[in-house]
Amino acid sequence: MAYIITEPCIGMQNAACMAVCPVDCIYEGPDQHYINADECIGCGACESECPVSAIYAIHSVPSNWQGFIDKNRAFFGM
Amino acid sequence: MFTEIPIRASSNEDELYDIAIIGAGPTGLFAAYYAGMRQMKTLILDALPEAGGQITALYPEKYIYDVPGFVAIQGRELVQRLTEQALQFGADLHLSERVLDLSSNGERQISIISSRHHYRARSVLISAGIGAFAPNRLPASGIERFEGRGVHYSVKEKATFAGQQVMIVGGGDSAVDWALALEQISASVTLVHRRDQFRAHEQSVAALFNSSVRLKLCCELNEVHGETALEAATIFDSRAQTSEILPVDTVIGMLGFKADPGPIRNWGLAFGRGRAIQIGPNCETSLPGVYAAGCIADSPVKLDLIVLHFGQAALAVNSAKAYIDPHAELSPGHSSDMPHPGRKVHAVAAP
Repeated sequence: MAYIITEPCIGMQNAACMAVCPVDCIYEGPDQHYINADECIGCGACESECPVSAIYAIHSVPSNWQGFIDKNRAFFGM
Repeated sequence: MFTEIPIRASSNEDELYDIAIIGAGPTGLFAAYYAGMRQMKTLILDALPEAGGQITALYPEKYIYDVPGFVAIQGRELVQRLTEQALQFGADLHLSERVLDLSSNGERQISIISSRHHYRARSVLISAGIGAFAPNRLPASGIERFEGRGVHYSVKEKATFAGQQVMIVGGGDSAVDWALALEQISASVTLVHRRDQFRAHEQSVAALFNSSVRLKLCCELNEVHGETALEAATIFDSRAQTSEILPVDTVIGMLGFKADPGPIRNWGLAFGRGRAIQIGPNCETSLPGVYAAGCIADSPVKLDLIVLHFGQAALAVNSAKAYIDPHAELSPGHSSDMPHPGRKVHAVAAP
């Protein structure tokens, strides 16, 4: 189960998530960071580390940010 | 919390093990149980100082809801129970030992070289998960100079820190739990965290705020000092933009882990998708006598659930048993019919 980075990351890109990810599956995009679903082991370390609470488990993404699920897939060409 | 399980750790290099299990996560621990039940002389190796793999390293406090027989079980407790079950037949569990190389020596024996020893086994199970975990190093000046003698990344024995001025760096469950545990025996405990919120269990955080642990929030460890031994640490407060030097005897870094698939790639195994080792229907790899199970194994349908990994562990070990002993059946029979040292004795009510 992957985690998704949403709206609050845009322009923020704090990168605390990248440091804490045990498998280095978080990548820097032009506007925000993205989690590679194929590499993510679903440990949730990034979720609690994000200073702007931008990271959600895929089934808990708030309804107004659902679009970030597709945006994430598109970033990795999935 | 932190219950210690007695562990046999002989390091007799002349020993020929029936099976060497690489990785003491849930898959490896359950495999060790089956190996013991099948009377196999068993060695378990793990890079971390504690058993439990991903659960111990990443989410010991989280509740797991999809383990058969438990409505909910905390990660730490599951590991404790699995370890107890795994070691009841006397398996050797060697922790803080990373496996570097594995090769067949041609006589149905496999040679295993770890960071500490050289072993021989008749079969091997690779249950190394997502690779060997290594703690994230503290990014502070002078830190390497004191590593192992003042600077630590785990607590092996609590008593080592009795009467000391301890500084813990981190904001997760490990950092908070150890701050609370060491507070009781150390001269002082300072917890340095670069944010003002902890990502630890709510109850532990509440206990922390009611404890004598000195909190340095929004602070980072910048430098450690000392002539021959560690004497002090400089921390930087990012809100106040000020530095402070605190006397310390010990600094413990608890900044999480990185998983490193490491040298497994070089052992001559065939790989499937991603970093996963290709396995056949009996969890066998491309090397005779070598099996793989769990996250590191690439099965036709890859679904990384603990319950499926337990199944693979049982299949792999029973297959290994049949491999090393052609007279042995693949089927272990019913566990309820087998002698178990760890069996429960039910009290019989007096008439």
